[in-house]
Amino acid sequence: MDMQYANFPYLSTLLIVCIAGLFTILFLPGREQNKIKWVGVVFSGITMVISIFLFIAYDKNIGGLQFVERVLWVPSLGIYYFNGADGFNLPMLLLTGIVFFTGVLSMWELDTRVKEFFALYFLMVTGVFGLFMSLDLFFIFVWYDVSLFPMYLLIAVWGSTRKEYGAMKLTLYLLAGSALILPAILYIVNVSGLKTFDLLALMAPGTLTPLQQKFAFIFIYIGFGILAGVWPFHTWSPVGHVAAPTSVSMVHAGVLMKIGAFGVLRVGIFLCPEGWRYFAPLMAVLATVGIVYGAFVGLTQKDLKYVIGYSSVSHMGIVGLGLSTLTVEGLNGAVYQMFAHGIMTALFFSSVGYIYDKTHTKMIPELGGLSRIIPVAAFYFILAALTSIGVPGLASFWGELVVFIACFKVYPVLGVLSICGLVVTALFMLRVVQKTCYGPPKEHHTHIRDISFAIGVPRMILSVVIIFFGLFPSFMFDMIETASSSFFKGLP
Amino acid sequence: MINWALFNTEIYFLITAAGFLVLSLLPKADAHRDYQTALALSAIGVGVALAGITQQGDIFAQAYRIDMFSQVFKVLLSMGLFLIICICSELKSIPERLHPEFYFLLVIATLAMMILVSSVHLLTIYISLELSSYCLYILVYLRTEHKRSLSATIRYFIIGATASAVMLFGLAILYSFVGSAYLIDIVNTLPAIIDRPIVIIGIFFTLAGFFFKLAVFPFHFWVPEAYHGASNQVAAYIATASKVAAIAILIRVIALSGGHSEYLAKVLICLSIISMTVGNLSAIVQKDLKKLLAYSSIAHAGYALIGILSMNHAGYSGAVFYALALLILKFTCFFVVIKAATEGQNPTMAHLAGLHQRSPILALALLVALFGLAGIPPTVGFTGKLLVFSAAIQQGYFFLVLIAMINVVISLYYYILVLKAAYLTEPDRPLSELPTPMSVKILAAAMITAIVAAGFFPVYLIRIAEAATAVFI
Repeated sequence: MDMQYANFPYLSTLLIVCIAGLFTILFLPGREQNKIKWVGVVFSGITMVISIFLFIAYDKNIGGLQFVERVLWVPSLGIYYFNGADGFNLPMLLLTGIVFFTGVLSMWELDTRVKEFFALYFLMVTGVFGLFMSLDLFFIFVWYDVSLFPMYLLIAVWGSTRKEYGAMKLTLYLLAGSALILPAILYIVNVSGLKTFDLLALMAPGTLTPLQQKFAFIFIYIGFGILAGVWPFHTWSPVGHVAAPTSVSMVHAGVLMKIGAFGVLRVGIFLCPEGWRYFAPLMAVLATVGIVYGAFVGLTQKDLKYVIGYSSVSHMGIVGLGLSTLTVEGLNGAVYQMFAHGIMTALFFSSVGYIYDKTHTKMIPELGGLSRIIPVAAFYFILAALTSIGVPGLASFWGELVVFIACFKVYPVLGVLSICGLVVTALFMLRVVQKTCYGPPKEHHTHIRDISFAIGVPRMILSVVIIFFGLFPSFMFDMIETASSSFFKGLP
Repeated sequence: MINWALFNTEIYFLITAAGFLVLSLLPKADAHRDYQTALALSAIGVGVALAGITQQGDIFAQAYRIDMFSQVFKVLLSMGLFLIICICSELKSIPERLHPEFYFLLVIATLAMMILVSSVHLLTIYISLELSSYCLYILVYLRTEHKRSLSATIRYFIIGATASAVMLFGLAILYSFVGSAYLIDIVNTLPAIIDRPIVIIGIFFTLAGFFFKLAVFPFHFWVPEAYHGASNQVAAYIATASKVAAIAILIRVIALSGGHSEYLAKVLICLSIISMTVGNLSAIVQKDLKKLLAYSSIAHAGYALIGILSMNHAGYSGAVFYALALLILKFTCFFVVIKAATEGQNPTMAHLAGLHQRSPILALALLVALFGLAGIPPTVGFTGKLLVFSAAIQQGYFFLVLIAMINVVISLYYYILVLKAAYLTEPDRPLSELPTPMSVKILAAAMITAIVAAGFFPVYLIRIAEAATAVFI
């Protein structure tokens, strides 16, 4: 793969901004809640601007890795501080920047332990950024854990609905994933005989025998797959999403689950293509089960956040299906779907967060007629629901479309089943919209004030992104294509 | 002609100990004076140990080796002593008139461990090991609540005495086959005869004494009881400095086999797995923090053993790094729980309630240390685990590492419970802020920085660890 070294370390700047924000928050006194929030807004805003800049500044004609930074970190082990941006991770960085910023804005009305919340939130996002940009197995693992361990406190302190149970379950599940990933990484590094954690060096064909690739792949697939919500390892996800506070749900469903899928792609598929080929049918079956299962379980839920949680399982199944097709289109669709689903879930949780803050309930039977009481907030909610269904003109549509086109060529039966699953998703999403936003309004909710312009800003940003990439999907597809087609060329 | 300059670190600590002996003879007890003296002398001790880090040579008829390995461990031990003395400012659980004796025994125990890491003769190993153990027996007993500490001491002593009797038997067997008590001769002879059952038995019996120190299964039964009965500072000392010395001597002895014995490796793998699992599973149900940390240190003995049983350079240097990590992390945990249990009583989960409000910096230190013990990056604990695990993978022990990682997940559960007590549980009645003088804040901040910095920039420490273990290849 070609590498374009950066003349300015933009990627590290992204991390440094996050860490600087973290320290600024730590050194502010806890009483100054407004200052802390403003610091959060400013620093997260800078990261969003940088991530947008990177997305635009990436030269699609040259392709390959750009903005590369590479420093030998631990010589005796062959660990490099190695960052680079390509068509796979730029969409993810953009997603993280947007969700991070809108997440901070969505927590504007937080008033308990503000300082600790934002400090942990920044720490978590630092890990997410680091993971997406890193090309060294050691750092990928480090960032993976950095992005996970603040989760426990974030959910257990500021969450709702069985928060301690949800937080513990989530933490143990996800770190069980890391228990599978670390041995696999060490195994790959060791059997390669290269004494390096450098992902690109390990990618060279012939580094690992097919048998070794199969062995390592299954550990990496399950390890990262737990985080991606692959059925049957998904059970932490709805529980965790429901328990988490709004912005944590946003980052969590919006970005963290993508880390899982991205890890499968970056570590599993990149390093063990033979293992990928071998296990692709298994991946496809699990993904299809996830799609159908998520849809049917979502159908029976009464809690709004559970509905979104199970729809996430279903939608992440589409990502898994795309990855399992072994085609360029499949990868394109999967990465696109990761981006679109991230933005969509962020909007979903953000608008549910508002509804919950105001009505103090997220049970569907207790809500009704919201579009009459709070039309603007209801609009965001309905938009998210429509995106989730995959209405053309909104971002998710393209991801799903491309994945299914790829899937029908390779696994026609599974494709049909998955489409059926999507129909069920559409059914329950529409049912939820109908029950909460239409019908007679509940009397004790009629006094609720609609979302103000300032509070609505994060939802606005997310809505604009959804519509923009729904109308101009080629911006994203061209970007992903630069990475996926060259990846397939590099395969033996 | 003996070159006494090589012996200066030990001489310094001997003089320090003598000083406390004199202090104990003074008629008037003065806790503050004793504390200040101990703090100053141990701080200088770290400097003395650091100054001697590059020394090399043999003294006492080649029975005593000064090399990078021993000197690095002497620095670690003197650091351990200094850190423990840092948290002795309020030594409420020990009668005031006994304070000079307490410091005396601490210093002597450290001195004995320093001699231990330099010993290359079976007799010096045995004598220094016994000396340190006896100091610890008395230290465990030194507590105002005699009833509890007495039963702990007796149990500790009986298991310790049994272990050292077994060890002496093992040493005798080794000696009878090799015909020399110098480790250098054993290294040369052992690989040729290591497949004989009696030699293997000799080695295992010898290892028993060290396993007792490190608290490896099946010699771990004393640990929870001793931690529980001893005063908090003594428990902290046993958990940190004593473990460091045990790791050092285990590396020296295991390295004797030259990695030629599959049988030895297999047994060590079993012991390591059982130690991890037993330690972690027992820790889950503990409410008493010292007992919890005791069981977790049994588990950590298992992890450290992974590095040692890999019997390659990466494994030995990984184990050295792990010893450092354990020292810092365990100390930080003890530091916080000792500060939380203000009256010198045994700290329980209840003492941590509301810690995040009573002292945010201590709560943060606890958080970082717990995640470090659990091996979550970016902490020194993770780097240590990475090093030992990658050494084990090099030897092809994939499933050992997998089991160890599963154990890490189990251990995370109880570390999170502790964290929950500090960050989520609100106290039954509102408690005042913990008195945190500047010194405590600085120490906490220093430990947090050390844990995270050594996790992110481990390269220099790894280099030192590799240089220290270069003598074994």
